[in-house]
Amino acid sequence: MSTTVQHPVGQGGPLPTPAGPAGRPVPEASVPARRPGTLKRIRRRVHLRTVPARVRALALAAVVTVGVLFGVANWGVGNARTGLDTIGHDAGPQVVATGDLFFALNDMDAQVANVLLLGRDHGLGRGRDASLRLYEQRRTEANQALLQAAQLAGDDPTEQRTVRAVLDGLGRYERLAGQAMQLDQQQGHAAGPPSPPVQALYRQATDLMKLELLPQAYNLTLESGSIVRKTYETRHSAVLAGRLWTLAAGALVIVALVAVQVYLARRFRRLLNPALALATLGTLALVVAAAGLLGSLAGRLETAKEDGFDSVLALSRTRAISNSAYADESRYLLDPVRADTYEQVYFDKSQAILYLDAERTKSLGDYYVNLGPAVEQFKPEGGSEVTFLGFFGDQARQAEPGSQEARAVAEVLAGYRAFQQQDRDVREQVAAGRRGQALARHLNAREFERYDAALVKLARQHRATFDGAIKEGDQGLRGWNVILPGACVAIVIGILVGVRPRLAEYR
Amino acid sequence: MRSSRTAACLTAAAVAATTLAGCGTGDGGSILDKETLTIGVKADQPGLGLRRPDGAFEGFDVDVARYVAGKLGFAGADVRFTETPSSVREKVLQEGRVDMIVATYSITASRKTKVTFAGPYYVAHQDTLVRAGDAAIRNVRDLRGRRLCKVTGSNSWRRVTEERRIEAQLVETSSYSDCVNRLAGGGLDAVSTDDLILAGFAAQRGEAVRIVNAPISDEKYGVGLPKGDIDGCEAVNTALTQMYQDGTAGRLLGKWFGRTGLRTTNSVPQFEGCG
Repeated sequence: MSTTVQHPVGQGGPLPTPAGPAGRPVPEASVPARRPGTLKRIRRRVHLRTVPARVRALALAAVVTVGVLFGVANWGVGNARTGLDTIGHDAGPQVVATGDLFFALNDMDAQVANVLLLGRDHGLGRGRDASLRLYEQRRTEANQALLQAAQLAGDDPTEQRTVRAVLDGLGRYERLAGQAMQLDQQQGHAAGPPSPPVQALYRQATDLMKLELLPQAYNLTLESGSIVRKTYETRHSAVLAGRLWTLAAGALVIVALVAVQVYLARRFRRLLNPALALATLGTLALVVAAAGLLGSLAGRLETAKEDGFDSVLALSRTRAISNSAYADESRYLLDPVRADTYEQVYFDKSQAILYLDAERTKSLGDYYVNLGPAVEQFKPEGGSEVTFLGFFGDQARQAEPGSQEARAVAEVLAGYRAFQQQDRDVREQVAAGRRGQALARHLNAREFERYDAALVKLARQHRATFDGAIKEGDQGLRGWNVILPGACVAIVIGILVGVRPRLAEYR
Repeated sequence: MRSSRTAACLTAAAVAATTLAGCGTGDGGSILDKETLTIGVKADQPGLGLRRPDGAFEGFDVDVARYVAGKLGFAGADVRFTETPSSVREKVLQEGRVDMIVATYSITASRKTKVTFAGPYYVAHQDTLVRAGDAAIRNVRDLRGRRLCKVTGSNSWRRVTEERRIEAQLVETSSYSDCVNRLAGGGLDAVSTDDLILAGFAAQRGEAVRIVNAPISDEKYGVGLPKGDIDGCEAVNTALTQMYQDGTAGRLLGKWFGRTGLRTTNSVPQFEGCG
């Protein structure tokens, strides 16, 4: 350790070459003349031969590490905030809203099938007027969801074109459906299949819906859902990285503060510098709190995305597909020419909702038989062995045994099974030549409504999980735009207060 | 995409390499990060995937794959086609020998546990091929008592005789091209399988055979990707959407199946979802 006593840094050495007269740049020739002095000063700073220089350097290093700590913690918190905003308040809810587009379109077509099937027997089932009102309501919902989708599309040309194509197609669909319903009303038939010209018009309408509108609506939700997924993945890993960086930077600050403390204790024979000790404790507290916050925010983001958003979206799809499967039951009764095709798509949709092993389940008949035993394997209180796949396979595997969610899943599965039983009754009556009874069974059935209500209930639980996680995340973040800079400034003040009296001894 | 992911991994690794060991490598990365793309196609299906005498592949699947690869940023020279028979499709994807499969690969829930599917790029339907002069067969029920082709190893005939319990007489053959030969020659009355496959054979036969246009199933032809490649899957879906929007899909369907009288769907199919 050098003992040479010198002037405090800044006072010794040649004065810097004065700048040229105001407004005029320094001539280039003067630069080489300035260099030796500057170099010397830098060398002296680097060598830190004086005690105050060393104190200053150590304090400066500590302040810089506090700055780094602020930077990384602030970056982590900022990522968490952006993630929560996008998933919880911005794109997330909008994507869920576009998910409703698929449901609304499906239900429009289902209600048209109902109206045509009822004929002049207006009072059967839900009744013609109620079906028409529901049709109008779904059309309004579809238009609202399309507006959301248009906003989400932003300036992505591919998505914009999809939104426009759905809007155009919806106009064509409404025209065809309107024509079919008007012609059907003029002809006035008893409940059951309408006249061939009405069937032909409806076939055009439902084909347009099935082949053009529904796929595009479904894809819109998938595409905008990918915004949420990408945001989640980037932000979630950034928040976790931010936590590690915060811990590392915090450790650096503490090392720097301890170094200053030790140096001052040795040099000035003092036991403890209270200001520095406070700054150290403050840093420790800040780092623990910030790392804890970032960890919990990463957890909230994960809950919101995986347990909330993904499930809400999946259930919205399941609900729409179920609804359209139920409408395929109507279409099966409505259009005898295409009955085979509608039965096949009903089976395909059932398999999408709850998939049973294809080796043993080759037809709808097998599906009815195998569904019961498969569903019974799911036990909400634990010990289930879920062998089925599809949307409900995912839900059944995700649900924690004994949870409210698991009980809701069990309710949905029971409702689904009852709905399939009702479908089986209808088709068996048709096969036995009792079309009238089949029609009455179809129109008066309440199984589908009960199943649909159970689905909505389960979706609401996931929605609550989603909203809860976002709210907790927002609450956790509250105040941090003040706490973080405030705490860092306080630590810096602690450092300055701690070293100032020691430096003063050299003045 | 590559640079941001690499940067994220480097950053994370710098902090604590051990705790983040799984970063980006758990799913084997994305096909988007590759320099070249190996695409699996069929070699024996006219109109879909067929190996020409000069060794090159041609067909609707091949053209779709080429379009998608182009949209993903692969130059023609960086794309390689290889034959993937049905039995090895999951295996070659899992082992990384093939990056992407476009080979009349139907999306099913059990396959989805092993493969990530983009698309479907087309929804085919099981349909029936008959001799052009045979007007008696208008839908699948009319196959009762008629001679239906049963290809060893294929399940299509089951939909008719087992699922629908239509009592057709099954005539066993070794391949669909053999079926179509016998149909034209009068050795049997009907061939029932995916309409695009039928149309591919019908295109070779000209006026001799006809498709009934009475679909009895939906077969979602997907683009098979290594399990977990969500980024790749979403990029392929965007490319497929563009393929329908810019009219390429309609043009390709016309090019390969236009002459056969098959009614094709020229708007984008409902995607399966990548997650």
